[in-house]
Amino acid sequence: MTDQRGGPLSVDVDTSGALVVHGDIDIAGGPTLDTYVKRSDNRRPIVLDLDDVDFIDSSGLRTLLTATRRAGERGTVVRLRNVGTTVRRMLEITGTADQFEIEE
Amino acid sequence: MSDPRELPWEPAARRCGPIELRMPADPDLVSAIRLTASAMAAARECTIAEIDDVKLAISEVLLALIEHGSGHPLCVSMELADSTFAISGSTDTLTFDRSHPDLALCETVLAEVCSDHSIELAGSELRIVADVPLSRSDDR
Repeated sequence: MTDQRGGPLSVDVDTSGALVVHGDIDIAGGPTLDTYVKRSDNRRPIVLDLDDVDFIDSSGLRTLLTATRRAGERGTVVRLRNVGTTVRRMLEITGTADQFEIEE
Repeated sequence: MSDPRELPWEPAARRCGPIELRMPADPDLVSAIRLTASAMAAARECTIAEIDDVKLAISEVLLALIEHGSGHPLCVSMELADSTFAISGSTDTLTFDRSHPDLALCETVLAEVCSDHSIELAGSELRIVADVPLSRSDDR
């Protein structure tokens, strides 16, 4: 399933249920990702595969933090997979890395 | 008569712009402006790290203008001089909240990638300036 609406960001759901994000997580792409996060299974960790994410800004980070808040309300977590240098740097700049489980 | 092989201007080491834009407050256009800024920096042989900083800075400026403006058009200027990529932007605002947490997050990022930045309200106009430092061409 791929969603090309709402800007350059698109999302696939892989066989494990992980959300595979393609494109930039910014003011245009964040809402698309947020839509997929809302649809995620309530009981399982929300896994975001960020291998194909080349850019994230503070609005994109807010999308990830909102996902964490939603997951927390369900008693689960957000797990970030394949975190590249751009996303890692954003987490470090803002001191928010501890808000997520990060697969190494 | 001057030598035709001589350039009629003094070639600057690294200059580009200014490029000045008036654009709708449309989130879908942010990636295009980010690409423009990135291309300006790449054309003047900025490093990958510098280009990443420029992309982040222009995105944060546009983000703040769109989210905290009134929805009216944005005015944006980008100029690369030898040691700085200078970004400035403005738009009308109706209910600007200087202490908004989203703005604080934006400023945290700008503080990291810019040598200087400011977010100011002048009357009903929101003005943002962000200067990304570049290594001088003769330093590399």
